[in-house]
Parts: sequence; structure tokens; C-alpha cells
Amino acid sequence: MIQAQSLTKHYGSKTAVDAVDFVVQPGKVTGFLGPNGAGKSTTMRMIVGLDRPSAGSVIVNGKPYHEHKAPLREVGVLLDATAVHTGRSAYNHLRAMAATHNIPTSRVHEVINLTGLESVARKRAGGFSLGMGQRLGIAAALLGDPATLILDEPVNGLDPEGVQWVRKLTRQLAAEGRTVLLSSHLMSEMALTADHLIVLGRGRVIADASVADIIASAAQNTVRVRTPHTAALATLLAQTDVTITNIEQDVLEISGLTVSEIGECAAAAQISLHELSAVSASLEDAYMKLTQNEVEYRTGDASSPTEAEAAR
Amino acid sequence: MSTVAHPTPPSTARTSFASTGSGLSFTGLLRSESIKLWSLRSTYWTFSLVVVAALGIAVLMSFAMSAGYDPATGAAMGIDTAQMFVIVSTSGLSLGQLIVAVLGVLSISGEYSSGMIKSTFSAVPNRLPALWAKVCVLFGFTFVVGLVSVIGSYLVAIPILGAKDITANLFDVDVILPLLGNVLFLALIAVFAIGIGTIVRSSAGGIATVLGIILLLPTVVGLFSMLVGWVADIVPFMFTVAGSEMITPNTMESWQAFLVVLAWVAVSLGTAALLLKRRDA
Repeated sequence: MIQAQSLTKHYGSKTAVDAVDFVVQPGKVTGFLGPNGAGKSTTMRMIVGLDRPSAGSVIVNGKPYHEHKAPLREVGVLLDATAVHTGRSAYNHLRAMAATHNIPTSRVHEVINLTGLESVARKRAGGFSLGMGQRLGIAAALLGDPATLILDEPVNGLDPEGVQWVRKLTRQLAAEGRTVLLSSHLMSEMALTADHLIVLGRGRVIADASVADIIASAAQNTVRVRTPHTAALATLLAQTDVTITNIEQDVLEISGLTVSEIGECAAAAQISLHELSAVSASLEDAYMKLTQNEVEYRTGDASSPTEAEAAR
Repeated sequence: MSTVAHPTPPSTARTSFASTGSGLSFTGLLRSESIKLWSLRSTYWTFSLVVVAALGIAVLMSFAMSAGYDPATGAAMGIDTAQMFVIVSTSGLSLGQLIVAVLGVLSISGEYSSGMIKSTFSAVPNRLPALWAKVCVLFGFTFVVGLVSVIGSYLVAIPILGAKDITANLFDVDVILPLLGNVLFLALIAVFAIGIGTIVRSSAGGIATVLGIILLLPTVVGLFSMLVGWVADIVPFMFTVAGSEMITPNTMESWQAFLVVLAWVAVSLGTAALLLKRRDA
């Protein structure tokens, strides 16, 4: 369990994390989302004491991280795949990490097997691909068989098999009752992996709810209708709380009504329908809606900077 | 009465999964740091270079000294045979001093530049024990390598100097103490360099700083003393000058010079410890 209270971090005049409060529960995979620069990595670094909070506090498994007698057995952390000396082999890196906690070498072999690193374990980590580096980072995080895992973008650079493996692994670890905090920018993957989401935007928590609730609250389900009589149907269905968008010449996207309501209405008015299907909102839609005003580094296609400045 | 097994229901919210295992310990940290040291190729070649440089220079010095030695007049150049052996056995270490200084800086700056420091500090969140373990391990191994260098140098000098009937017993206090003093100073340079590397957090900057203090500072201060008289008084307090005064006292006693050396090491490590604790990793 991770509990943050008014956790704050300033870098000079910039506030990276702004008085966030959250609890990461055991037994679940908690997804940590947010645009680049939202403060996810900084928050993770503060949890394990690599960065000192400017204000507030965060405790893991009941104590500040540095007060634990066996930190690696409490929390396994993957912050980025470069936390390894490039001149050292994966095996020796893990052995050096294990030695600090008197973790036996047999456990080093276990995590090497678990992460599929057997064939490259004796090679210098500097020559690893991003994916191999990620596997080594995950192996290091698992060394102490910790009750809490913090993984910052673990699937970044992994092949599809690796992505699926991380999904299964994190689900399994959570099912064992562990606390799993996971960040990723892959919304489709997050939708499959996480139970609960904490969304950061510009250093603040902008959502903290289950995946289903976040999708339901932030993005509406729509119904897609294909009919030659779009104008007639649109007029028929028009009422408050119903949004109708003509997305193609003969296709309408309707929100605010169910599939059956639209079907019955069309049948009563004898309007022929060629397609009638529910389009469920994706996590990606919900996320985009949640964070549209929270993006720190936006690409230039939406609006030019001058327009954005003028709008303020 | 039959015994019924009551399996404890699987806990859904355990907070500790490995309560039986042991945690952080200083011996563990020492082991971790020696694994780190010996799992890098650079350690092997730097330490080898220290020994090879010492032995090579010992051979050259032995021949040079025996060539200039006239058995009829006895001790040449105003030095006795014990001193000859000490000079021959320790001259090469001055090169070794530069090598271990670089090694000391790299042992910590390499962790910063590669990102390893994040792994180190997440395993040892209080940070200082990891620094002290690194200091102990590098001090110990550098001491051993220094010892191998000076005793090896003494051994290669025996046949060369012996050809001119120059002999000295290794365990003569006039031989063994200066040798041990040189080895101790070598190991302290490595430790001093760890401190500088921790403060600077960059390999290039750390190496430049340490070599500047070892090589340049005594010369610069010496030059200033020609302009400003009282500056001459602080020359003996320079790190390397004090290091050599530990072995051949000139302006102060050996123990005083040793304290000066320790002060340099203490300031370096003390500042390093303070910054390590305060800065974000």
C-alpha cells in the first residue's frame, strides 16, 4: 500500500508535483496515467526516496521507504531501464543488488529465468536493447519478492510477447495481494491491465477511480447508425440531451439514446436502417477528454501557440 | 477426536512477502560493493597497471642505482641501503597514485553517469552506508594492490641491487615502515577520490579535480610562495606533500603529516556524505 499526503515537489520555480493525495491499494493493479511532464516519474521517485519531497509525505507499507529494514523486500522499483552500469553484466548487476539484502544467488537465477534473460545474462548490460534493459529492470524489481511494485513504463520497448508477459505478471502479482503501481502511455494496454487508475495532470490528481468508472464518466457511449435517410432520422430523434453527428454521408453517430430506443423509433417511423451498433467508449477517449486541458507539451497541430496565448 | 485442519485463508492484502529473509546489513553492502568493483573490466586493468608500473619502474631504478653505486665509497648519494630499497620499491607508486585516484572517482561517478546510482540508492535509501561500504572496499583492495606492488618491487630489486652487494631486510623497520606508509597513502588517495567523485558526480570533472589537487596544487602553491613569503608555510599542508612527509618527515613529524592527510580525506568524504544525503539522486 502506498499513501501520499499533500506530496509536493518543486524544481526551482516549477512545481512538478502539486500537493497530491492518493492511496494505492494492495490486491489491484493501479495505473498511473498522465501526459508527459505531469509528475508521474517524480512521484514514483519520491515514493522510493530518490527525490526528497518539497512538502508533504509518502509512505509505503506503513512507513517512509527509508525506514524499512529491508527496502528491496518491501518495494521493487523499475524507474527506467538505464539504472544499470553499462559495463557490468546483467547477472553481476543482479548479484550486486541481491548482496545488499543477503538475497541468495538462487533468487538471482530465478528472476533471470522469470524475465527470460538467460541467454544474455552474462553479457554487458550496455549492449542491451531497450526491451532487454526493461526485462533486466523488472528482474531487479522482483529480486526481493516485494509486497509493492512500482513500474514506470515497463512495456516501453518490449515486443508484443513481452507486453503480454508484463500484463500477465502484473495481474498475477496483484492477485497475490501485492500492491502494483504501473505507468504507461499505452491506453489500450492499460485498459487490459489496470483495475484502478490515478490520472495526473500538471502535477495534480485529476482522476482517481476504477477503470470502468473513468471510461463511463469521461466518455459517452455512442450509437452508430447507417441509413439513407439521415436527415429524417436526425429530425425524428432530435431532443435535449441527444447529440447527433453526421460523420459520413449516410452515417450518424448518436449519443444520449440506446440502440433499442433508436431502433424502435426508426421502425415506428418506417425509416430503414442499414447498420445500428453501439460504439463503446475506449479508455483512450476517456483519457483524452480528461487530460485535454492538462497537457504540458502539446504538438502543434491543434492550434498555433499564438492562438492559444490569445485564448487565455 | 479427529484433528481437523483449518487452512488459513489466503490473505488478500499481505504487506510483507518475505519476512523470513534478512534485510540490509553492512556485510551485505561490503559484498555488494566488491561484486560491483570486480565485475567491471576497468578494475582489472587499472589495478594491473598499478602493479606493472611499480615493478617496471623498480627495475629501471634498481639498474640506475646500482650503476651509480661504488662499493668502495659505500652508500652513495648520502643514502643508506635501506633507503635505496625504499626508493626503488616506491617510486612506481607515484604513477599508481594517479591511477587509483582515477579509479576512486570512477567508482562513484560511473554510477551517476550510467544511472546505476538509482539502483544503489533504492536498495540503500539511507545512502550513507552504501558510500561507507564503497570506501571500505576500495580502501581494502587498493591497500592489497599497493602491498603487492611494493613487495614485488622489493623482490625484483634484490637480484639487481644484490649484484653490487646492496642488501636490506624487508622487515627492517627502516624498510617496512616506509613501504607500508606509501601503501597506506595510496589507499587513502583512492578514498579521497571517492569523496571528490561523489561531490562532482561527473567522471571528467572528478578526475580533473583530483589530479589537480594531487599534481597541480603543490606546484601552484610553491610558485606563489616565491611571491608571497608566508605561502611557503602552507606547502607542507598540501595533500601530496603531506603524503610524502608521512614517510620522509621534513618540516613536520610523520604523525602530524598523517593527520594532515587524514584531514584532507575527512573533508572530502564529509562533504560528499553531506551532499549525498541532501541532494536528489
